[in-house]
Amino acid sequence: MPSEMDQFVAEVTAFLDAHATRRARAAEDVAWGEGEDRITYFSTDPPDVENAKVAAAKAWQRTRYDNGFGWITGPTEFGGRGLTTLHDLVYDGLEAGYDVPETGVLSLIGLGMIGPTILAHGTDELKQRYLPRLYSGEIIACQLFSEPAAGSDLASLETKAVRDGDGWILNGQKVWTSVAHHAAIGLALCRSNPDNPKHKGITAFVVDMTAPGVDVRPLRQMSGGSEFNEVFLTDVHVGDDHRLGPVDGGWGVALTTLMNERASVGGEGAGPVGRAVALPFLTELLRANGRLDDGAARRRLAELHADTLATEYLNHQMVRKFRAGEQPGPEASVSKLMYAQNLTRGAHFAAEIIGPRLIADTGAWGTYSWTELLLSTPALRILGGTEEIMKNILAERVLGLPKEPGIDTRSPFRELRRSAGATESRSA
Amino acid sequence: MSTENTTSTELDELRSAVRDFMTAKADERAVRAAIDSERGYDDKVWAQMAEQLGLQSLALPTEHGGDGYGLVELTVVLEEMGRALLPSPFLSSVVLAGTALVAAGGDEAARILPGIAAGTTTATLAPPNVDGGWSLGGRGTGDALAVTASAGTDDVTLEGTAPLVLDGAGADVLLVVAGGPAGPGLYAVDADAAGLTRTPLPVLDLTRRIATVTFAATPARLVGAAGGAAAILDRVLDVATTALAAEQVGAARACLEASTTYAKDRVQFGRQIGSFQAVKHKAADMLTRVQVADAAAREAARAVDGLADAPEAGVAAAVAHAVCSEAFLAVATENIQVHGGIGFTWEHAAHLYYRRAKASQLLFGGPAVYYERLLAKAGV
Repeated sequence: MPSEMDQFVAEVTAFLDAHATRRARAAEDVAWGEGEDRITYFSTDPPDVENAKVAAAKAWQRTRYDNGFGWITGPTEFGGRGLTTLHDLVYDGLEAGYDVPETGVLSLIGLGMIGPTILAHGTDELKQRYLPRLYSGEIIACQLFSEPAAGSDLASLETKAVRDGDGWILNGQKVWTSVAHHAAIGLALCRSNPDNPKHKGITAFVVDMTAPGVDVRPLRQMSGGSEFNEVFLTDVHVGDDHRLGPVDGGWGVALTTLMNERASVGGEGAGPVGRAVALPFLTELLRANGRLDDGAARRRLAELHADTLATEYLNHQMVRKFRAGEQPGPEASVSKLMYAQNLTRGAHFAAEIIGPRLIADTGAWGTYSWTELLLSTPALRILGGTEEIMKNILAERVLGLPKEPGIDTRSPFRELRRSAGATESRSA
Repeated sequence: MSTENTTSTELDELRSAVRDFMTAKADERAVRAAIDSERGYDDKVWAQMAEQLGLQSLALPTEHGGDGYGLVELTVVLEEMGRALLPSPFLSSVVLAGTALVAAGGDEAARILPGIAAGTTTATLAPPNVDGGWSLGGRGTGDALAVTASAGTDDVTLEGTAPLVLDGAGADVLLVVAGGPAGPGLYAVDADAAGLTRTPLPVLDLTRRIATVTFAATPARLVGAAGGAAAILDRVLDVATTALAAEQVGAARACLEASTTYAKDRVQFGRQIGSFQAVKHKAADMLTRVQVADAAAREAARAVDGLADAPEAGVAAAVAHAVCSEAFLAVATENIQVHGGIGFTWEHAAHLYYRRAKASQLLFGGPAVYYERLLAKAGV
């Protein structure tokens, strides 16, 4: 008698066999010197290539959705499958054995964070309107949270929301907005009441990114590409039916999103980047450079491998807890910190082995190509909550250490000191 | 054993029973009393561990008087022992000697194991190399071995000096990897054997005794097959480093908890010092290391038990040994730092953990050895 999970596995396998091709070689096999040598974390594709990839991602998500795998954990009334996180993990594990389009442009922000937030805080009408379209790949969502003067201290955001009859008028500037240039909707946090303490005067809205007054401008990253944007909101009208959660109660909405963000940024060990800094590939790198007997290089390789595998084991532990119906502890946050560290160490280790051929493109396979990853790794310690903020959270929430004393959580928002240049709602 | 046969609830119950026992029998005062005692551990507590909780027998095979559980279950026990810094011959007798005997098999092993399982016999396994290392050099000729065995299978005698033998002065049975005519083999020597000299040594880790053991025409018995030490030793190192990793995780968590408690209690500049980010981030780093070490130790235990979805045992054990050694040392070091001056005093327990951390890291050879072992197990 096959278990329910065995049946699910069989169903997923049949679906993938019918709609995708199995990977030619095992993910960990290394074909040294052959094929694509780019190691990309952030996209540096020209617009036409990027748009083609977005179209392919949407099409694959549509295929998943039509076959019951677009939103495995979602409620059935909004297009989900009503299954568990474990089913989701099992699906991901199986799909990793096939060549399918990369769908991060949809999943990391929209499906991973915004969808769960709308589900938790939206009205039935709002859920019905957006969730099926999100999870079927029809539309992409972005997160309008950070601002020039509100980064780690997100709750000090200043984009204004002012009542206007039946709706609201939004004014302000958002920044670091990934995929905004592809997004149809954005989840915006706005200052609705500057007379309350900062956490108690924020309201959340679902914003139509094509509405008049929404201006998306690409930000060029130090790695060369433009995956995120600045978004200017100028007298943007939003209906009150697009409000998420209570008026001035947007911080609770934001916490839902942020919790899902930390869950989705960790555990990215697989994929091309993970393979590049894993043992088989780095071993070939040492061999190709005649360094396989170099004690110092071996030591660094082993240290990196130990930490990489231990992080993988941590992810296994998280899955086992899900499987046993337990709530994981701080594994996701720890995994994210370790992932950033391991990837950074791996990139710098490879650079050391490659030496001067990394600093100019001689055309040699697998040398200059590492620069993309090297230029991307600083972001890993910042995105999704800086390392410093992550550590505060671990220390305060897990270990119970006291918060930094301060007046900023009690005083009215308009009285707080802010960075130079952040003036918007001060005079409001 | 190839499937998980103990539920997490049962493991929690085991942990709670062992923790209660350690709280009652191995608090800091008891640990310090054991350190100052001649034997180095409390033999009444050792007997109660066997009689009341059956800890010695837990992970030994049923045919030798054990209960047939695996490393997954033993990990819980070892974590609690590590947490308490319990001075006892558990690592030497149950883990090192017990594993070596089970791996060797045969009549001699069957004779010794039931006593180990019952806690009535203590045994130990000497490091094979002249420098206290655990390698057979990959050559199998026994050149670097500290002890040599005479020819024959009956009336064998041993010659040589085994350095750094864990609990070597107190053990009832000494197991020795000695160079023999058929290559390195495992031999057993009784405590009262002729020509045996055991010299206790001053120790860095006050909770673990170490001795030099000299053999001069000392009668010994072959354990298992002649020249069979290589396979035995490989298994012993996988199991022992995994067991050690569990101890290290338990002890590291104790250091983290001590630091966290102190950071909440200690007030300077009118604030709890745990509210300063310099301290808070240190604590978060400690937590991160402990969590990763914990995952590595558990995965290694699952691998050594041969569970279906676990990684290869040699790799996982090597990862756990490296990661848990580094983590415990780092956390024990930072624990002193968080405590400031008081943490540097003899009266404070911080140095006991620091001593245990450094000694554990080096016990089976240290970083240079364990990183190479990882690469070797991974095929590099």
